[in-house]
Amino acid sequence: MATLTAGVTGSYVSYLIQHAFLGAESRKSKLKAAHTRAAQRMTSEFLTMRGPAMKLGQALSLQAGVLPDEMLKELATLQMSAPGMHPSLARAQFKAAMGQAPDELFRSFESEPFAAASLGQVHRAVTKEGDRVAVKIQYPGIKAAVANDFKWFRTVSKAAQISKHLPESSIAELETQLLAETDYAREAENLEFFRKRLGPLAFVEVPRVYRKYSGDCVLTMSLLEGSHLDEFLATRPSQRGRDELGAKLAQLFYFQLLELEAFHADPHWGNYLFRRDGGIGLVDFGCVKYFRSEFAATLRAIYLYPGERGGPEFQHLLDQRYALHGRKLTPAARRALIGFAENFYRTVYPPEPERDAVPFDFGDDRFLRSYLRESTNLMRAKGSLPEYMLMARAETGLYATLHRLRARVPMSRIVRSFLGGSGALAQ
Amino acid sequence: MPRPAAGRRARNKQATQQRIVAAALALFQSKGFEQTTTRAIARKAKVAEGTVFNYFETKEDIALYFLELEVSHAIAAVRADRRLRHAPLEEKLFALLQSQIEFLAPHERFIGAAFVQALKPASKLGWSRQAAELRTRYLAFVQELIEESLPPGKHSSLSWVAPPAFWIYYLGVLLYWLHDGSPGKQSTLAFIDRSLKLGVGVLRKGTA
Repeated sequence: MATLTAGVTGSYVSYLIQHAFLGAESRKSKLKAAHTRAAQRMTSEFLTMRGPAMKLGQALSLQAGVLPDEMLKELATLQMSAPGMHPSLARAQFKAAMGQAPDELFRSFESEPFAAASLGQVHRAVTKEGDRVAVKIQYPGIKAAVANDFKWFRTVSKAAQISKHLPESSIAELETQLLAETDYAREAENLEFFRKRLGPLAFVEVPRVYRKYSGDCVLTMSLLEGSHLDEFLATRPSQRGRDELGAKLAQLFYFQLLELEAFHADPHWGNYLFRRDGGIGLVDFGCVKYFRSEFAATLRAIYLYPGERGGPEFQHLLDQRYALHGRKLTPAARRALIGFAENFYRTVYPPEPERDAVPFDFGDDRFLRSYLRESTNLMRAKGSLPEYMLMARAETGLYATLHRLRARVPMSRIVRSFLGGSGALAQ
Repeated sequence: MPRPAAGRRARNKQATQQRIVAAALALFQSKGFEQTTTRAIARKAKVAEGTVFNYFETKEDIALYFLELEVSHAIAAVRADRRLRHAPLEEKLFALLQSQIEFLAPHERFIGAAFVQALKPASKLGWSRQAAELRTRYLAFVQELIEESLPPGKHSSLSWVAPPAFWIYYLGVLLYWLHDGSPGKQSTLAFIDRSLKLGVGVLRKGTA
């Protein structure tokens, strides 16, 4: 961490030295270059440090509006790269957690992982009973590393905390979530909760937990079949196929938000498996957010709000949401939220019922730019709430996937089907 | 038929030696190294005290013999794992250390005491010819792993210093492991993994 801090600082020190001798344009381009160098340095260090530091980098890469674009671009590479444990370390860690080596406990165990995550990696195995399973093994010492990395992060982000662009409550939320991701017992509970509660969505499959083969740092689950988004797109699916899949992803998202009041908050593409029969396998429930019912109620009241969004009733709903956190909405934050509702949500989710059947075309990337612009405005207006950190992460992930699918999805119809709280599903 | 008789005798001798070592290790672990006497070892191994001396001059020789077994076990484990042949150096070294730790784990208390004992100037564990030979054999193997990991025709300007540095590192790992209170001693695994990556990275930078 010290070398990372020194390296990043170095990028800016060199910029500051040159700053006094440069014109406005040169300053701008030099600053951009400094951002890029700092981000490259951060990315490479995050990669070598693996674990929580990398997870932190991944989380930061989704914080549009907080960091300069050059940094976001570099940090985004962390989304897909995760250095793994070598087989000897994975075996040792498994044995430390379970008391037996994997080849003793399972009928067969693949020493090379088939999926890597920042906090652990997943191996295929077959149980003694003959079931094909996925065994997730956590990097050793990760909990202590999370605490250490956040100490560092709090130090380097002091300026953003003081300016309230990155409030301490948001950092605390991120830390709590990362620590929760290291708790495999909790993840097993999450899996069981979602496996049961997502039952009404017949197209969704959630792995079954094998408690007998699981411990603090090892989580054994049924192995799901399916291909990742890239492989699915490589089959050149028809527009109809992409639209149907897009609609299912949107249903899955809003069913969680509005019916379960809890959602899978790790939108990494590796966590979605698409089956030939149209089913969707959802894996990795380490990062899950459970809402307070009062907060979910404010979501239901605001989604597809039919009236004037600059009007007093809408503003009152916003005030109520912030009051749940003991916060008073500033005029700037209120303006940013209303702008978001008008400029982005009204376009993608038109509130008029007669427009429910009209699908929104996610292939046009103007909506993504609009989403990022409004998110940035909200961040700059210091209107962030802890809930938004993970909601934004999940929502950004949904939009990015729908955009890659170039899907056309009737978002309002889907959202409306869950607003009654009756559990009715969109057809 | 002298051969089978000689073979049986050798097997009996070996079995007696193993019984003595097992008894000694159990006592070192339960009573402590300092408190264990050769008489108690003989009693536990169900042999005469004189028989113990036929095999080992002192209890320190028993400890040294155990450490020889540990090193042989770890070297054999690394060599027997065919997958490791093409593994990077940091994984080979990790596997070596891990095999040693797994071998030592049931005797943790004794290892702690042996560590202190080995630091005493007159200790056979630290300063005898046998101890030096054992260290040489171990470090020769480390050197072998380093050499075979270098690209053909390349050498590292640091390879001459790597084995002695590795010895000091190994002692540090042992000390870390002894003090590691994390569940399943996971912190030790993380420590070895990260430190080996750093060390091997430095070694690679010195390779020309």
